[in-house]
Amino acid sequence: MTGTFVRAAALASALGPDLDSAVERLAGAPVAPARNTKTGGAWPYFAIPISGGDWRERAEAIARSVAGDLRREAAIEPARWAELPCIVGSSSFSVGAWDEGGWAALEPSFEFASRLARAFGVRGPVTALSTTCTSGLSALDVALGLIAEGEFREVLVLGAEFCNRLTVAGFAGLELLSATAARPCDRERDGLVLGEALAAVLVSAAPSPWRIAALATGMDAASVTGPAADGAAIASAMRAAMGGARWESAAVDLIKLQSGGGRLADSAEANAVRELFAPVPGAVSLKGALGHTLGASGPAELALLLASLARGRVPATWGFAERDGELGLAPSGGDAQGVRRVLFNLSGFGGSVMSLALERAL
Amino acid sequence: MTVYLLAPTSLRVAPDDFPARVRARFASELRRAGRFAQLCLLGAQACLDAAGGDGALGVLWASEFGALYAARAALDEDLRRGEAAMPFTFIATQPHLAGALLAQRSHPVTRTACLYLPADAWPSLPRLAQRWLAECERVLVGCVEESGSGGVAHRSDWCLFRKKPAAGALRCERSLEAESAADATTEDWIPRVAAWHRPAPLLLRGGEDAWSFASDG
Repeated sequence: MTGTFVRAAALASALGPDLDSAVERLAGAPVAPARNTKTGGAWPYFAIPISGGDWRERAEAIARSVAGDLRREAAIEPARWAELPCIVGSSSFSVGAWDEGGWAALEPSFEFASRLARAFGVRGPVTALSTTCTSGLSALDVALGLIAEGEFREVLVLGAEFCNRLTVAGFAGLELLSATAARPCDRERDGLVLGEALAAVLVSAAPSPWRIAALATGMDAASVTGPAADGAAIASAMRAAMGGARWESAAVDLIKLQSGGGRLADSAEANAVRELFAPVPGAVSLKGALGHTLGASGPAELALLLASLARGRVPATWGFAERDGELGLAPSGGDAQGVRRVLFNLSGFGGSVMSLALERAL
Repeated sequence: MTVYLLAPTSLRVAPDDFPARVRARFASELRRAGRFAQLCLLGAQACLDAAGGDGALGVLWASEFGALYAARAALDEDLRRGEAAMPFTFIATQPHLAGALLAQRSHPVTRTACLYLPADAWPSLPRLAQRWLAECERVLVGCVEESGSGGVAHRSDWCLFRKKPAAGALRCERSLEAESAADATTEDWIPRVAAWHRPAPLLLRGGEDAWSFASDG
């Protein structure tokens, strides 16, 4: 089978400092996020349980930890590893350094991306990009192009979002946050809970268990901060991903929803899903467990989902308890046997909409 | 793969003149968009006006600092007081929003991205545009930087890549002659392409990567 494959993934998130601990914790009872005093303390926040040093030292320590996990899983010889190109997607890069160090602590986004690449021990070309909450999947999109053109056989993709007051204050100002918990698709949902994550995905031309069958992008310009209520752009991106993968909608076994607990955004995505699927296949949202990790959410949720499926489980959707009749979605966990094709949705500020088609290859 | 470049447009605006330029082009439409997005749109719209054409549009732009001054305003004015950020101030900190604002002005934008690039990495832009042309008819490529001081102009340089030839378009290809190419930067490659009027190709290099720009006649 040809194409691009997910060779390895690693993650530091609120669920744990590594992917194994995150999957294990996700299989257990839901845990509520703490209120994070570093972001003002007024809002719940999913923080990575790694501390020490100033903001930048902590970010680098998290990066080294994730890098170690990824290298072990990828099992690439050191010389090849060192030459990997690194594509970094983030919505905030190093803005959190301001919280402790003021203007002197801030550095241009490219320099921070290069700092992360160095922490991973790679010396290939670095690209830093932002498409707000889809940044990590946009980074993956760039990586797919590099592999498809034969420039590289393997590319390191990072989704990075570290704790910072600006983002929390901004979402608070927009009145998009829940004061209690993220409840994706739930009748009582009342907003997002933000979180931080560093996720690393190594994509490769060499066959691995999951193949990236297609990645579709779209633009929803209805508003710069939310989707059109009808979900048309989301449906269009999902349709394009299925078309690129040459799937009929009936072939989809599982949809990883963007849904994070926002009233309008969840409703728009549900409209898109109902437009394309009847009956609606299994669905899952990971933002009740990870928080909305913004620019990191693509690689972070991809890493967590594939690791859960590899252990035979579709994870439960934390925060979902009661079906909303208007949405018509009831995400549920369970046995992953038979899950061979996954549609993976993401969208963000600025109208960016993406849908990724993943299929089992081995 | 050969692609075609149209309407290289180099915009330099003194900070004091900027509000009037934006008002003259967009009336009060962009009042809440933030200066970086306004700067992107001013240059992008000038390029599109010059290039004409239609069809699915990708929008790809690069900056070293992005929406630095919106971030500064949000951090200094709101966070120092421990308050929630004002919505439009916060939104303006996200440079990627310029793509949506362009789409809201009836351009058929299908994909966008904002890259943070060092000065010699500008060839990433035509290379990525080449890839996007597999899905888009046109890709608008820009290099945008807000001025940090009153004596330095804001920059918003744009050009339009197409798959197909067009009147006045330059042929663009990656070149294997990097050693004979002139060094260019994110700041000057579009202005140099705009100023090139000789029959011989213009060879420009950034890092290890070189590009050739030649008239298509």
